[in-house]
Amino acid sequence: MEANKMIQADGGTAETAANMQSVIPLVDIYENNDEILLHVELPGVTKEAITVNIDNGTLVLTGTRTKGSDGIKGWREFGDVRFQRSFSVPQAIDVAQVRAELKDGILHLHLPKSEAAKPRIIEIKSD
Amino acid sequence: MITRWSDLDRVFNAIDAMGLLRGRLESGLDEFDQVLKKSGSVTGTTPRTNLFDMGEYFELSAEVPGIGKDDLSVKIQGNYLEITGTRAIEAPAGYTTHRNERSSLNFTRSLTLPADVDSAKVEARLQHGVLVLSLAKAEPAKPQEISIS
Repeated sequence: MEANKMIQADGGTAETAANMQSVIPLVDIYENNDEILLHVELPGVTKEAITVNIDNGTLVLTGTRTKGSDGIKGWREFGDVRFQRSFSVPQAIDVAQVRAELKDGILHLHLPKSEAAKPRIIEIKSD
Repeated sequence: MITRWSDLDRVFNAIDAMGLLRGRLESGLDEFDQVLKKSGSVTGTTPRTNLFDMGEYFELSAEVPGIGKDDLSVKIQGNYLEITGTRAIEAPAGYTTHRNERSSLNFTRSLTLPADVDSAKVEARLQHGVLVLSLAKAEPAKPQEISIS
């Protein structure tokens, strides 16, 4: 009985997700000596609706935009979407230090390099 | 469009030359390029908009990711509305570019609303990269209640 309910509940969520258009967000990728920086375009997505998962060398980013409107439709060029994209993350990234901020619909995702991966200047000693 | 993609290819070749993270971060992205080319889902040069009639007012929203309020302007006259905006995409200082899918924009989109609006009663908000305008209808355009005698 309990299990039955769970299946129903799950089915409901899957259905909702399936009805939502899935879109691959545009990204810019930058790098400096300390980190890799991603700028991901997620217009209309609030920070609560964004998830970033890094597992086993893969970064999965999802964001959903749901905006109901109770008015009469004049025209509609964009609607509810689910942004999703995954990246392979180099091992040199310090996963624990990853941080993100959201500004004007752009997610800034900072992937810091681990100490070992940073370029080092080797001092040449004279004798 | 075609030139844009060949530009991207060039960037890719440049990444190849750099080689640093090659095959890790970029793996699978070549494939993605193909998908993107086919679907043409790249953000257009003008923002997409939605219009809803809320009775007393129109609600117009436009996708303007990465554009701050200082780089947006809205002009209204009668039932004519014009949205202008710019955004520049450049690598943050000290960073090198690996991949650049987002482009600089400089757009003007003009729209004709279904009815005149009162330009003095317009509210504009910027919500997470979406511009939302509440446009109060001009008096004659508002729904009227007719009493039956």
